[in-house]
Amino acid sequence: MNNSNKPNFFFRLLHELRRVIYIMLDEYRVILKDSGLTVVFLGATLVYPILYSSIYRNETIRDMPIAVIDESQSVRSRELVRRLDATPDLKVAYQFNNLEEAKEPFYKHKIHGVIYIPKDFNQKINRNEQATVSIYCDMSSFMYYRTMMLGANFGILEAGNDIKVERMNAAGITGRSAEISASPFRYEKNILFNEPMGFASFLMPVVLVLIIHQTLFFGITMLTGSLREEKLVTIDPQLRQRGKFFPTIFGKTLCYFTLYIVVCSYILLVVPRFFQFPHIGNPLDIIRFFIPFLLAVIFFSMLVSVFIRNRETALVIFPFFSVILLFLSGFSWPQSNIPWLWKTFGMIFPSTFGIQGYLKINSMGAGLPQVQFEYIALWIQTAVYFLATVFAYRIQMRTTER
Amino acid sequence: MSNSIIQQIRNVARREWKRMLSRPIYLLSSVIAMLFCYLFFLTLMSEGLPEQLPIGIIDNDNSSLSRTLERNINASPQVKIVGKYASFTEARKDMQKGRIYAIIDIAPGFQADLLANRQPAIAYYVNDVYLVAGSLSYKDLTYISELMSGFILQQSLQAKGITGEENLMPILQPVAIDTHQIANPQANYNVYLSNVLLPGVLQLLIIMFTIYSIGIEMKQNTTREWLSTGNESVLAALTGKVLPHTFLFTLLGLMGVFLLYEGMEFPMNGSIAWMSLAMFLFVMAHQAIGIFIIGLFPRLRDAISLGVFYGLLSFTYAGFTFPIEAMPRGAQIFAWFFPIRHYFRIYVNEALNGVDIRYSLIYFTGMVTFLILPFLVYIRLRKAIVHHDREETKNSRFNEQLQ
Repeated sequence: MNNSNKPNFFFRLLHELRRVIYIMLDEYRVILKDSGLTVVFLGATLVYPILYSSIYRNETIRDMPIAVIDESQSVRSRELVRRLDATPDLKVAYQFNNLEEAKEPFYKHKIHGVIYIPKDFNQKINRNEQATVSIYCDMSSFMYYRTMMLGANFGILEAGNDIKVERMNAAGITGRSAEISASPFRYEKNILFNEPMGFASFLMPVVLVLIIHQTLFFGITMLTGSLREEKLVTIDPQLRQRGKFFPTIFGKTLCYFTLYIVVCSYILLVVPRFFQFPHIGNPLDIIRFFIPFLLAVIFFSMLVSVFIRNRETALVIFPFFSVILLFLSGFSWPQSNIPWLWKTFGMIFPSTFGIQGYLKINSMGAGLPQVQFEYIALWIQTAVYFLATVFAYRIQMRTTER
Repeated sequence: MSNSIIQQIRNVARREWKRMLSRPIYLLSSVIAMLFCYLFFLTLMSEGLPEQLPIGIIDNDNSSLSRTLERNINASPQVKIVGKYASFTEARKDMQKGRIYAIIDIAPGFQADLLANRQPAIAYYVNDVYLVAGSLSYKDLTYISELMSGFILQQSLQAKGITGEENLMPILQPVAIDTHQIANPQANYNVYLSNVLLPGVLQLLIIMFTIYSIGIEMKQNTTREWLSTGNESVLAALTGKVLPHTFLFTLLGLMGVFLLYEGMEFPMNGSIAWMSLAMFLFVMAHQAIGIFIIGLFPRLRDAISLGVFYGLLSFTYAGFTFPIEAMPRGAQIFAWFFPIRHYFRIYVNEALNGVDIRYSLIYFTGMVTFLILPFLVYIRLRKAIVHHDREETKNSRFNEQLQ
């Protein structure tokens, strides 16, 4: 077929367009025929969000088991123990006579904290002195530590406030004014955007974007690698028709893009609603934001796959990079505290901007103007990776033709 | 060629070294990946606890008191006021841009209300989408508020003639809390994460490398040559193949152990020797898992997909970020099937709690148990290796006919 010489521009365009569509459909055929690719593009994107959402479903620790050593054995100390047990965070699972006894269950990970009320606790309070309560935190996980601090601080401060008012009465400040003097001003805590302070609400939106990024990356590199291996076409299989690689690039891109618009809608819009993760963003803004994201990831993956000779290469070498990308996004260790070198390094990857943008729109309800930085960055990445891909194809073609 | 199995294993191992060096991309990328991760995580969080977290303030009172509060907040190392806003909407927009993690809202008339004993309120808004930054900045704001309110109370008590610390403190804070953060007194975030994340990366590399090195023999039809180097003994062929990897990855793992506990001076209240043994078993257990997976699915592409799936799930099932017991019951059981869970427990026992070794024996046993796995798929794997040649020849002939 050689009708590209037709003088009519319109026909030529139509012809090119038909080639693009043909290549897109061909790409779909390749994906559906290859069970490995189907698993990555459709299986992983379907299963991973459900799997991880289910595992982290519970959001926080409730009734974390702790031990209490109440050497005081007074009305006041028993009241304190009751208060601690009543917090939603803690459960007094054991009461011991001394610290030594608490070691065994602590070392066996049956309890994740110990509260020690000394013998002189009640005496000190009766004598108008400052009493001390010791708390021991299991530091193996941030969640244990946070739960212990939340529960113990709340319980002990509450008990302390009662005593404070009593003592002020004794000092001659009484009634409502004692209460006011005890806390001259109040402070209200308002949690924005992640009210349950939940772990899933914090982690899952990030994981969802990463799933899109990584399946697309591994899928494209796998596909390119296996085409190369099977040597489907005489020259580089990337270029199904000699010399014409623009239709190839556009056709492939169109295939991944249309496929992932559907995948994105499921992962980014349906999953958060189904599992009740934060989702206060405008769905249209999310879709609009993810257009440059998808294009950037597609061209980035195409560029990398220029260097991939085998089907497995990327999947053997790069899975660990998922963890790096996760931390480069600045969702855990805060972005404001990432050293500049790593911050710059993070700008290479679409995931960094994609994750931040999704958190801001989806979890915090930002509009497109507020994610302008990420949005523009993704378009710049799209342009850079597109040009680089074209450039790399060119070079590759020249070397293969020789 | 000697017939002793040791000799056979040595021959296969020598062949494996040569193979690894002749296509060094996988060897190099594994080593570089691990070294890169050591560098990345240990420098990323080298601060330990994030400081100077950016927050914003809306000071509509603009009194001497509100300015004092602002000064106190800025004096604390943990947070830094980077934005002053006229309205909440303005501040919220900046929070949505990710520029600030918390907002302090002081309403007009704060000082006047305070002096008139009307107990005014300050509102804090914390963005817990960034759980770590949000929690930490809130913790700091509460602390400063408590100090401020203590300071004001102190002044009114002093006006009543109550002076001196020993008289003031029992009223200001009747019950003091004495917090012991076992083995990690600064609540160093790097310690929480790197201790498990880094072995996590290592196990991912081990599984992939093991699967690849066996699967590629089948894919490239070199099983015949591989087997004959081991004098037709599948046991010798397998052992000889993975032994060089054991050496390589144990070296990388031990490097991490020394880097963390000696170089970075992370808490180590037990013995580095036990940690090193744990690391050695950790490497072996994951090699066993790699063999198990390729034995179960003796086709490189399938085995690799499963390997990635398992290796990434390991990070979840270590239970170092989100505790296993907070997961749904049905999901908890699977924790047993991840050596990293046992490694995590050994690390907590040795490095953090510094407990007697008898508490860790069960976890050491747990890791050793994984070494049974290759024997479960031994027959299947042998069949795959021995019969691979024949099938492949058949296939390629079939392909030729097609073309």
